[in-house]
Amino acid sequence: MATLTETRKPMRISPGFLAWMALIGVLITIGLISAINVFWNGLAVTNMYNAVPWGLWITIDLSAIALGAGAFTLSAIVYLFGLKRFQPIVRLAVYVGFIGYSAALLTLVMDIGRPDRFWHPWVYWNIHSVLWEITWCITIYLTIMVMEFLPVITENKFFDRMPWTREVAHVLHKAAPFFALLGLGISLLHQSSLGATYGIVKSRPIWFKPSMPIMFILSAVAAGPALTITVATIVQWVTGKRLISQDILRTIARFSGFGLLAYGYIKFWDLAAVTYYGRMPSVSQALNTLNQQTPYNFAFWVGEVLVGIVIPAILFLTPRFNRNPALLALGGIMATIGIIINRWDTTVSGLFVPLSYSPGTQYVLPPGTYFPNLTEFGVGIGIIGYALLMITLGVKFLPLFSNGEHD
Amino acid sequence: MSKKKTKVKVELTRRDVLKVAGAAFGSAIAAEFLTTGPLSPFSSLKQGQIENVPETGHGAATGEFHWGMVINLDACIGCEYCQRACCAVNDVNPEKPWNIVVTEKTSTGNTFYFTRPCLHCQNAPCVEVCPVGATYHRDDGLVVMDYDRCIGCRYCQVACPYDARSFNWKTYTEENPYVPTFGVPEVERRPRGVVEKCTFCIHRIDAGLKSGLMPGEDPEATPACVGICPVGARTFGNLKDPNSKISKILAENPTIRLREDLGAEPSVYYIPPKEGL
Repeated sequence: MATLTETRKPMRISPGFLAWMALIGVLITIGLISAINVFWNGLAVTNMYNAVPWGLWITIDLSAIALGAGAFTLSAIVYLFGLKRFQPIVRLAVYVGFIGYSAALLTLVMDIGRPDRFWHPWVYWNIHSVLWEITWCITIYLTIMVMEFLPVITENKFFDRMPWTREVAHVLHKAAPFFALLGLGISLLHQSSLGATYGIVKSRPIWFKPSMPIMFILSAVAAGPALTITVATIVQWVTGKRLISQDILRTIARFSGFGLLAYGYIKFWDLAAVTYYGRMPSVSQALNTLNQQTPYNFAFWVGEVLVGIVIPAILFLTPRFNRNPALLALGGIMATIGIIINRWDTTVSGLFVPLSYSPGTQYVLPPGTYFPNLTEFGVGIGIIGYALLMITLGVKFLPLFSNGEHD
Repeated sequence: MSKKKTKVKVELTRRDVLKVAGAAFGSAIAAEFLTTGPLSPFSSLKQGQIENVPETGHGAATGEFHWGMVINLDACIGCEYCQRACCAVNDVNPEKPWNIVVTEKTSTGNTFYFTRPCLHCQNAPCVEVCPVGATYHRDDGLVVMDYDRCIGCRYCQVACPYDARSFNWKTYTEENPYVPTFGVPEVERRPRGVVEKCTFCIHRIDAGLKSGLMPGEDPEATPACVGICPVGARTFGNLKDPNSKISKILAENPTIRLREDLGAEPSVYYIPPKEGL
């Protein structure tokens, strides 16, 4: 024991760090209390009901997975396309991706009515279901990320006593391009299938369109790396160390900016097709209902387009702005918010529009109403606490920013 | 500083950009194949919409029977007995009944009553989306639920075009107000956290066939809602048997199905009011 304490660097615990950990502790406690409430009393404690059976938690799932897209994008860029100079950020990207995906799985377990049966999709297959495919892809991809990340964990001093772990890690590290390829394929599949989850529902006029999967994957590829550079920038501020060259962050920001433009382009034509050229009576009616009942228009134009696409794209692509790390971080945060608002709008707006199936003229279901209650927000806060805890621990104990070429 | 940067840029633009472009193109082809090819989740949907022929759904009844229902909107008086009998026999919470009864108006403003059980689609969207196959097609055309397999993700509820599914947000512990006036429970209450829906009283059909009864003719083997209807607005039976009562009614009357445009191929037909809809 004595030797162990001697070899370990004395850990510096500043009051600021303590306060930060206390904050995280509070967030996680709120999350745990809410989770126990849900497990004990069932989903009746939420504000979801039969007309709007999906709500805040599905939004968290979708956003967390989309924002984890930095992992596969940057892994592919480094290991498949061979742009080695981006290597310093891959570890962080994979780590952020891992946090996103594990957070999504945690929320999913909260959201299903029978958490004790979370394993059913692996045993009982329905290969026609996009949700089945998504569940499989997410778990496989989570495993891939663990495999990609294990070598980093074994670099911790703790594993000095177990040399065999280093050998395993070495093999895994050699297999990085293979993991990147597999990860790319699986990510392209499920990131777009998440859009298809909505896009294939033919009875919901707001959702039923082929552009859904495309918009989902483009937004994920654009916003995922943006979140990665934001995390990198914030970590650099907090630790006061220059960990990744600004040039790399700027190049990724430019990539992200072009991604946002591509996303905006598809979104523009989607809007034109849905509301102008190919206007279907059911869709027009649905949009009318949404505009009357909800701030849908405002959320779309200000939240999704202005905050989520236009401003971050300008910040990422204009040389004057993208030289400033603060503005890059701001752009990343805005793109992240844009994604979350988009996923929320997609989920809730489609459900707000009532189904129409009666043969007569009078019977129309009332438009849905939904706003998450404290328990639902509590779980969301807990998930944020989990993400912050993981980031903090990772930055503290893992060599997230070295390039992995030590051996 | 600036020299270094130009150097990096040149390296980027040659081989790497081509590589990126090539791989992006390859991925695009793969994505295209996966979204339009036979593996695509859209494939069955297209099929259902293009060939709008009855009983082409991938869940089409392949057996001897195809259970279906005809509801005569012209005869229905809106007494809600079907709803109550259903709630009693299947022990359903009346707050979210499996059968709905609503007052409707035709385009000329005359009142009629519209009732709706689960339509037991042959191309059921709920079956397609269930990630665990907890809801599935039987070879007699019924869409059934496996309550032991359902994980409660509620995707089926979101996907059902007819709002025929309800989720057990909490355990139903209250006393059922329709028991025993409208019948006694013949099945267990569903547990908290699973989705439930009308079964066409599957327990009666299966038990009836075993004991030599014919669903649609013998009341013990026929859905509760059909037997209790005081005006005989509901007819149940085997759509595959041209001599069954339901087939004769279908042959003799103009009928519609709800939202034919969706291609879900429901097994429930409606006789519209005489004046039209």
